[in-house]
Amino acid sequence: MRAAILDGIVLGLAFGLLGVGMTLVYGLGGVLNLAYGQIVVLAAIVISLVMEDSHPTVLAALVGVLAAAGVAVLLDLTLMRPVYRERGEERTLLGLLLTLGAAFVIGGLLAWRYPAGALYIFVGGDPISVIGVPMAVGSIWASVIALAAAAILLLFFGATTFGRGVRSVIQDEVGARLVGINPSLVRTVIFALSGALAGVVAITQSMSGPLTVNAGFELTTFALIVTVVGGLGSVAGAFLAGVLLGVVNTLSAHYIGQYITTIILLGAAALTILIRPRGLLGR
Amino acid sequence: MAAGYLGERVIDDIDVEVRTGEAVAIVGSNGAGKTTLFRAIAGLLSPMAGRVLLDGRDLTRRPAHRVARAGVAYVPAERHLFPAMTSRSNLHLGAYPRRPDRATLELVYDLFPRLKERQRQHAGTLSGGEQQMLAVGRALMARPRLLMLDEPTTGLAPKIAQTAFEALEGLKKEGMTLLIAEQQVPLALSVADRGYVLENGRIRLSGTAEELEGNPEVRRAYLGVV
Repeated sequence: MRAAILDGIVLGLAFGLLGVGMTLVYGLGGVLNLAYGQIVVLAAIVISLVMEDSHPTVLAALVGVLAAAGVAVLLDLTLMRPVYRERGEERTLLGLLLTLGAAFVIGGLLAWRYPAGALYIFVGGDPISVIGVPMAVGSIWASVIALAAAAILLLFFGATTFGRGVRSVIQDEVGARLVGINPSLVRTVIFALSGALAGVVAITQSMSGPLTVNAGFELTTFALIVTVVGGLGSVAGAFLAGVLLGVVNTLSAHYIGQYITTIILLGAAALTILIRPRGLLGR
Repeated sequence: MAAGYLGERVIDDIDVEVRTGEAVAIVGSNGAGKTTLFRAIAGLLSPMAGRVLLDGRDLTRRPAHRVARAGVAYVPAERHLFPAMTSRSNLHLGAYPRRPDRATLELVYDLFPRLKERQRQHAGTLSGGEQQMLAVGRALMARPRLLMLDEPTTGLAPKIAQTAFEALEGLKKEGMTLLIAEQQVPLALSVADRGYVLENGRIRLSGTAEELEGNPEVRRAYLGVV
């Protein structure tokens, strides 16, 4: 039981990190980036290629994060322009269609060029005992990185002028424009941030097991669930939802069976929409 | 200027001037085109013809955030506050991208002491009158050259509307340049130096506040005098 909960928290922090990149973009402009998982995979492949060239892992990770951020900005400056010209339902639909298209293109290209592509960042060392439960070093590292990312993001959005500006666009775009904030620039920066976070996800996910080239849609699905449960545009909500769902996931895997956990998670998302459409911490 | 939506001109042949330190009222009934005019000046709507000049600088078709940074602060009737932020954060964002200036903040709190009491409260939980004060305060934080207020008395009880206009009177004394759109014509003319009467998207009359108050048409249509 204790081990399951601890595993759940580890998984949940990973979920939170995964969801936060999607929820920010959605909160800012109503676009669910369905290519998010493929950007994670792209970062993973880039990192594995740089590592194969026998460069140090840290350098490879940095290149991967930058590459993911770069691709995200590219998407924002090309594919997203017509999307943000639309309003309301049209924007949502066009956003879904175009990012889904991007998901197929990026995912397809990667699977075709690197059919056996995978990233596994092996973190050595004996398991460390946490409240009596032996934990793999890789899991602990992944959790520490996720927590650090959460802290940095909360600080950025809570204490910096630009971070406040981002929140203002999420809360009232017209109001933001009237105080002199350029929502389009804010969205580009947040897209870049979201891409960088996808790169970090690639690193943390591959610390406890290989991240394969086909993982894209599964990652996107989990990010979607976290976004819905956590509340749109909420950093704290994404991590809270992630940890809750992570614990639910491991407990149900432990007591019911692994095959049912994804259904239970989707059920949790559906239930959230019914009971609390704003999500845990959404507006 | 001419402006409108979907190719349809809502306002046409408009020529409005506000001099530094002046308070100018745009009066007219609902649907006369006051909001369309303000949105076109603020850059939220692209004008179909004409120009927007601020101190001789051409602001026509600049996006709203550029117009705001150039010194035009627009307080729309719907206020567009940031509901899930404290009223203090709302004020701070008014100064974006600069850090809020202490003296300006003091000036806002002097003008609206209520906002100081409510500084930790979320904007979404404030009363209508407090929200209006906050919207004006947020606009002032940018230290604008021109403050545009669209229907500042919307949704306010008559007594609070009166207080709001007293605050505007105070602002005017501080030297602020004001452009006010208002349906409540007597209130608007009480603070304005000059005014324009807008009807069906065109300027019907213009003149000093006294001239308009004395005009028989204005008296009949807007001041309730038979």
